[in-house]
Amino acid sequence: MLSEVRFEGVHKIFGAETAVEDLNLTVNAGEFLVLVGPSGCGKTTTLRMLAGLERPSYGRILIGDRLVNNVSPRFRDVAMVFQSYALYPHMNVYDNLAFGMRARGAAGSVVAERVKETADVLGLGHLLKRRPSELSGGQRQRVALGRALIRQPQVFLMDEPLSNLDAGLRVQMRAELSRLHERFRVTTLYVTHDQVEAMTMGDRIAVMNLGRLQQVDAPETLYDNPANIFVAGFIGSPRMNFVPGRLTTTQGKTAIEFLGVKTPISAGSQLTGETTGGEVTVGLRPEDLMWGRVASPDSTLTVSAEVDVVEPMGHEAYVTAVCAGETVTSRFPPRSGVRTRERVELALNPARLHLFDARSGRTILQRPVAGGADVRRTVREARKEEPAEGRSDLQRQTGARGAPSRAEEIS
Amino acid sequence: MAVAAGLGPRLDRERFQWSSLVMLSPALVLLGVLFVFPVLYACYLGFTNLALVGSRSRAYDFTGLDNITRMLGDYVFIKSSWLTIIFVVGSAIIGQTVLGMALAILLRNALVSVSAVIGSIVIVAWVLPEITVALVWYAFSQAGGTLSILLRQTDTNFLVAVPMLIVSLANLWRNVAFSMLVFSAGLRNLPTEVLEAAEVEGASVWRRYRLVIFPLLKPTIVTNLLLVTILNLSEFTLIYAMTQGGPGIETMTLPLYVYQEAFVFHQLGYGTAISLVLVLIGAVFSLLFVRASRSQV
Amino acid sequence: MSAVAARRLADKELIVVPYRRVSVSALATNVVLILLGCFFLLPLLWMVFASVDANPDWAIKIPTPTLANFADVIGRADALSSFRSSLILAGTTTVLTTLLALLAAYPLSRMHIPFRRSFMLVILFASGLPVSMLVVPVYQIYVYLGWLDSLYTTALFLAASSLPFAIWLMKNFIDAVPLELEHAAAIDGASTFRILRQVVLPLTVPGIAVTAIYTFINAWGAFIIPFVLTYSPENQPGPVEIYNFMGSHGLFKFGDLAVFSLLFSLPVIVLYLFMSRYFSGAFNFGGAVK
Repeated sequence: MLSEVRFEGVHKIFGAETAVEDLNLTVNAGEFLVLVGPSGCGKTTTLRMLAGLERPSYGRILIGDRLVNNVSPRFRDVAMVFQSYALYPHMNVYDNLAFGMRARGAAGSVVAERVKETADVLGLGHLLKRRPSELSGGQRQRVALGRALIRQPQVFLMDEPLSNLDAGLRVQMRAELSRLHERFRVTTLYVTHDQVEAMTMGDRIAVMNLGRLQQVDAPETLYDNPANIFVAGFIGSPRMNFVPGRLTTTQGKTAIEFLGVKTPISAGSQLTGETTGGEVTVGLRPEDLMWGRVASPDSTLTVSAEVDVVEPMGHEAYVTAVCAGETVTSRFPPRSGVRTRERVELALNPARLHLFDARSGRTILQRPVAGGADVRRTVREARKEEPAEGRSDLQRQTGARGAPSRAEEIS
Repeated sequence: MAVAAGLGPRLDRERFQWSSLVMLSPALVLLGVLFVFPVLYACYLGFTNLALVGSRSRAYDFTGLDNITRMLGDYVFIKSSWLTIIFVVGSAIIGQTVLGMALAILLRNALVSVSAVIGSIVIVAWVLPEITVALVWYAFSQAGGTLSILLRQTDTNFLVAVPMLIVSLANLWRNVAFSMLVFSAGLRNLPTEVLEAAEVEGASVWRRYRLVIFPLLKPTIVTNLLLVTILNLSEFTLIYAMTQGGPGIETMTLPLYVYQEAFVFHQLGYGTAISLVLVLIGAVFSLLFVRASRSQV
Repeated sequence: MSAVAARRLADKELIVVPYRRVSVSALATNVVLILLGCFFLLPLLWMVFASVDANPDWAIKIPTPTLANFADVIGRADALSSFRSSLILAGTTTVLTTLLALLAAYPLSRMHIPFRRSFMLVILFASGLPVSMLVVPVYQIYVYLGWLDSLYTTALFLAASSLPFAIWLMKNFIDAVPLELEHAAAIDGASTFRILRQVVLPLTVPGIAVTAIYTFINAWGAFIIPFVLTYSPENQPGPVEIYNFMGSHGLFKFGDLAVFSLLFSLPVIVLYLFMSRYFSGAFNFGGAVK
């Protein structure tokens, strides 16, 4: 059964700290929604409120059409994977998996059958007699996952389930979680601080900071049209460059001045807000700030910069350079041969600029959503760390469904 | 708070669960009847002339401060108070803490096999019933006992010659394991990096202990002092079984005097009043230590 | 310095390092510790040697081996009855204290209770009150209720006096059970009772064992409370019996006295050994009083 989850005006206050402030968020039925943000942003509190481990200070939480504010976790029909796994240390894998079904009074034969099924799905069949202390980190993670899966709940809750795994295993489990979601399509709220997990796994991503929801959108939209400086800086690695700029209007045409150059607002984009005194913050993704020698033809703006640090990554290199007094990071091809103190020419495509109000940090430029070769490239790059099998078309469609920007939620 | 304004009542106020009261109530009832009530009752009886036998065992009166006045003029009480303080300061505060710390440090640095054996012996001394400790130390200190042979004074009964010293040593012998265990745990929990940093910087052993280890252990030391003082202040069995307070009143600490006044001289009211003084002394010591632990931070 | 010379130096040091010099301080540490150990061992040795000696006196000496003392003690009715009394007294106290402490510690550790902090402070304070203060009022209460001279009512007061510390100890053990496990079980759909029985209780077994054994060891050695609250000879527990024997020189042989205290001490030593593997964490008082 698929249920949607709704947070309506939810607050959570601990003493003098507001952990979550006026949260309005809907997780669509069957959707995999990733809640991402830095530590202390309120994402785990949000998850725990949905699980019933914390009660909201104000507001309403609904699972399906049922108000669950005062429903104890036991009766919410949700399953949760804890960051620490929280496996029962005194029970073997079989009993850990069976605990929830037995608690709900399932018959012994049904339990045995389901445990076997679940163990097979997760490849735990040969470990059923072991205690958690006799399992590796990855195996424990699977048991924790199995304990949630076996219940066939209305909602899955995952609290940074991969953060205790080493890097290789994490990539593998990421793919496996995506596969499992495709197979069972249970509404999932997944909390992480890792933007790569968010970009690769989420149908939609909700970004939180300081207890407030910043933006909810499909990964591509979030990347291309971040609602504010926080989201723009949080999503994408290396981080987006921010430099000060000015908006000037001459003869009805608006232009942007920054890094000592001036360019008109590109044709497809649209200014959506006024700024105070024309002060703006210009955002430039490192991959849009290219080495002049290899730049694509539409990168028409060029600036001169002095190389400060070169960080070779193998398949590419990050070059930090100083340009008109601002430090910016740029993505270079590997083995470019540039060295510290060398002057280089950086080229950028004016259509790929981000503009934010310098004071409020909100975006003032709506850029075209999706379509076009450039956008596809970006999405592919963001997903580059995902293993080859990738995701199915089905999932892409679900992702697209959430595409209309929800930036209004933050206002 | 700005957020809270206009949102109505908080929905997440902690709710009292009645099941918690159900689980607590058996303990509360037992403690209420046989602990809290006796404590309050003692505070009352301490100001009466209740006796164990005779007419005053039934018809006793509230006598106000009579018991206090009597104490101030009671030579035995004053001597007994001093003996108690000497016993606690000497045997518990100084003896037990210093020897306990020494043992903990030695155990940490000695060969594993030596530590295991000696540590076990010290702990066995602590686990033994007090009455057994009283017996073995009684035997140890008699004329012709092991101590007199070691000191080549076989005619001396040390329990008569230096009763307070022997009783304090016996108490130290029994209780030092507690401080040793507390300090061993404290030493084990010290951050290794800090100790290694001090060692790498070339600090001598003494300096390491004085400037790094002891300051870090200060909370543990203060807690140990507090617990040890409170436990030793009410020590009765060991002293009573060895000397019954004698010879004369040379080992009559306050707990023994309470027992003697109440159950030997049948002065229940006066005995209880003395026990209240004992509690008062304990409270003063506790306050001193708690203050010491506060001031260090 | 040339590379070759450096290599040579390194080789030399590699040879030197494995040899461990016996330092003066290490030697001194072990010697001092062994001497201190003798101080603790000597009084104990008397009890062991005298128990198997045909002609013991107050000093330690090589025994003339015999088991007659053991036979003597085991044949004595008063010795056996005091063992029985001690078992009833300590057993009842332990069961009662452990059960009530467990029941009280769980809500104190996990549930919302008004004034919980103050309550725990009072508990801690209460465990430090001298028994001498309570003896007189409790004696009066027992006279009034007609409870004197019964092992079970005496155990009731022993339980009350050991309960504060037991609650405190048990609460610390329950605090150490990760709350997340209970959360996981609740989300898994388990009732409060099932969580207690299948998750909390199994993980608290070490704490229950430590609390029970600690209470038993104390109750087994309790002297003043049974000394005041019981008077029939058949109700006298071991410590009171040993005290009476000590006071009756000549009527009781040294050897028998040694055997009796040895036998009486064995159960607590065995229990302590059993408990010690759970015990390492129990002494981390760190800043417990702040």
